[in-house]
Amino acid sequence: MRVTKILLAGVATVAVCAAQAAVSQAEEVQRGTLYGDMTIVSQDMLSRAASDGNNFLHTNGNYDQTRFYPNKQINTSNVRKLRPAWIFQTEVVETMETTPIVVNGVMYVTTAFNHVYALDAATGQQIWHYKHKMGPVTTYCCGPNNRGVAISGDRVFMGTLDAKLVALDSKTGKLLWETQIADPELGYSETMAPTVVGNKVLIGTNGGEYGIRGFVKAFDTQTGNEIWTFHTIPEDSVGVWATHDATGRDMLRDIEAEKAALKKMGDPYKTLGGGVWQNPAVDLEANRVYFVVGNPSPDLDGSLRPGDNLYTDSLVAVDLETGQYVCHFQYIAHDVWDLDAVSPPIITQVKDGDGNMVKGVLHGGKTGHVYVHKADDCSLLRFSEAMVPQENMWVLPTKEGARMLPGANGGVEWSPMAINADLGLTYAINLHQPMTYHVESTPYPEGKLWLGGAFKVIPTEEQWGNVTAVDYNTGKIRWQVKTEQPMIGGVLSTAGGLLFTGEGNGQFKAYDAETGSVLWNFQAGAGVNAPPSSYTVGGKQYIVVAAGGNTQLDYKRGNNIIAFTLAE
Amino acid sequence: MSFRFSVPNSMLTLGLSIAILSAPALAQDTLAPPPEIAELVDTCKACHGDNGVPVQEDAPIIWGQEQYYMYVQMRDIKAGRRKSEIMGPIVQDLDKDTMKALAEYFSQLKWPSLGYSTPEADIPVAEAAAVAGQCPQCHLGAWVGNSRVPRLAGQNVQYLEKTMLDLKYDRRKNAPDVGALFKDMSDEDVRSLARYAAGK
Ligand code: HEC
Ligand code: HEC
Repeated sequence: MRVTKILLAGVATVAVCAAQAAVSQAEEVQRGTLYGDMTIVSQDMLSRAASDGNNFLHTNGNYDQTRFYPNKQINTSNVRKLRPAWIFQTEVVETMETTPIVVNGVMYVTTAFNHVYALDAATGQQIWHYKHKMGPVTTYCCGPNNRGVAISGDRVFMGTLDAKLVALDSKTGKLLWETQIADPELGYSETMAPTVVGNKVLIGTNGGEYGIRGFVKAFDTQTGNEIWTFHTIPEDSVGVWATHDATGRDMLRDIEAEKAALKKMGDPYKTLGGGVWQNPAVDLEANRVYFVVGNPSPDLDGSLRPGDNLYTDSLVAVDLETGQYVCHFQYIAHDVWDLDAVSPPIITQVKDGDGNMVKGVLHGGKTGHVYVHKADDCSLLRFSEAMVPQENMWVLPTKEGARMLPGANGGVEWSPMAINADLGLTYAINLHQPMTYHVESTPYPEGKLWLGGAFKVIPTEEQWGNVTAVDYNTGKIRWQVKTEQPMIGGVLSTAGGLLFTGEGNGQFKAYDAETGSVLWNFQAGAGVNAPPSSYTVGGKQYIVVAAGGNTQLDYKRGNNIIAFTLAE
Repeated sequence: MSFRFSVPNSMLTLGLSIAILSAPALAQDTLAPPPEIAELVDTCKACHGDNGVPVQEDAPIIWGQEQYYMYVQMRDIKAGRRKSEIMGPIVQDLDKDTMKALAEYFSQLKWPSLGYSTPEADIPVAEAAAVAGQCPQCHLGAWVGNSRVPRLAGQNVQYLEKTMLDLKYDRRKNAPDVGALFKDMSDEDVRSLARYAAGK
């Protein structure tokens, strides 16, 4: 492949600027005259991001989280001419899950251990580098990841592994404020990118493997003060003693034993987990946010947490202004497999049971189904065919280990889906990773790892991945392409009829959104396990993605941000 | 710790001054302990070594080990969640601040090389066990750990074998989820894994 205009000089500048950031200094942003000094990201820009073919302002493209980019300069007929425009190497060679955010020709990316870089999106030249001063207590389940920044006004926001929220000056990278979100010694930490709406920075929490009590919080963009907290675990977490999951399968719960345990130990809400790993979708019209809530703690041991464990493994909607509960739908009550809900929800028009178009919410589950909800009351309209093999569901974990598919990474992991509303398709990336589930009951360990057993990969069984297109109006799989390894990262869909997603083996590919044919590929040299984004500078559309590998699935690490554009 | 990041070569040529400036917590060969813990530190060295190489044969390397992990171990040993006839009496009278200061001090020192290499025969067994147990998911790619998760790479092999079997048989009770990973492995496979980690 002929590589045009790779900015090798970028490697040298990394070192110089790394040293600079180390002494907490940063250059002024040098902006091309073409863009003037348009540093302020207005609420209107954020609200209209879905039709903005120049910028990429939200982690998942827009408030509906469609990851559908409206520019079609790069399309099915010319994508074979896509070439790297520049490669930027960060200082940190570890797992990368960042979504590049682009505003008026300036790109913001993050790395493991919470570094932030501002880059010239046309050249890859570094503008500033911020290194978070990490406290001694950091927590992660699946790698020291960070999924990127949120931007609004003149600032960018990032959550940290030591459970802080920081606001930086978008022009200089200077720290404006930092807020301690929760106590890291208890297992709280942040890897998700925040979402900003109006004066609020919204962020959830990790910690479902540590016996936290999960939440989504809103902080003031100007001061960092807390505005509201929604506890993902209500004080009454018992629910309705559901015996079947959302697809109608018996979960083999021993309800009588649970009721007896509840009587003895009371409601387990204080250490019940319920992390929120990914961005909420924001419905500006209804003034609501929709997010999905992760697994109960301890993951594999249900004996210490009688009840449905609300609102774990659920889609939840709350009021944007107050954080008050609106509605929820639980996929799996009393989960003991960690087949929870992590991939960010998407708002789009869908067909209801009577064939009318209504506002819907889509979620790609770790179970391997795409769930389609009515936005109004969170109710389930349909679920898709299974995208991965399912076997032995729902066998209970045992001491010796019980084999069940999907394995505990899913189905669909945290990886965001993307949709193409014209085609009525949602695109998910899947994992097939056979595992055994082991239970080992132990009391709450005061903020230490608390799985209540172990998930073990079966090393002798084959693993693979898929890229799957699901018709969300019927639940049918339209097309599916198998990949060499389980997939983790995310999908971008574009008006050019394309789909971009990367693989653990370093392949970054473009697919025909309608048929699934592979139209282009590039070998990045390290795992491409981050969601791609797109932007336009100087009239040229770019596709950009991080290639840093992945800790969770142990894919080859790297430190590259690679931007692609069409060869002249 | 700088070993976690691969620093671009060109940065090395920028000279030491930058390295020191940029990484106040950079690992050191020698560092005077704060006076409050100086005497205690001398005690520790009796087993954990003057230069970081353990003198007692099944004592772990604590030089350069993760700060928060070490604090938690001392806390757990004091509380009896992790039983150790040797370490128990040593931490019995230490308060939280002293344990934190000791952990901070030792974490800043340079991890020593014991020069151990894994026997070839262990590698296939250990690699399969590492895939099954997803060790790098928490201990990171190079098994160097972070914060709550200890470094395993290059740890004293005798200590690793002992503590992993202690975890397997619930003799070490403060990390049951880690112990659960070893429960369905044979003792010999656990030892292979220990020798694999020690040679990383
Ligand atoms: C008499 C010998 C001896 C002395 C003195 C001693 N240690 Fe230890 N230490 C050990 C042994 C042996 C172990 C392993 C215990 C086990 O197998 O559970 C250990 C374990 C530890 C651990 C746990 C490390 C890990 O990887 O889990 C820490 C932390 C530690 N020691 C710190 C200290 C400190 C700090 C001091 C001084 C205040 C000290 N030790 C003094 C022998 C000693
Ligand atoms: C889910 C995360 C996780 C996974 C997966 C994991 N570990 Fe650990 N490991 C930990 C944590 C956390 C600790 C510290 C426990 C404590 O605080 O006592 C630990 C501690 C250990 C220790 C004790 C080290 C010492 O200095 O005493 C050993 C040995 C170990 N792990 C080996 C392994 C091996 C081998 C694997 C793979 C088969 C593995 N671990 C997989 C999280 C994990």
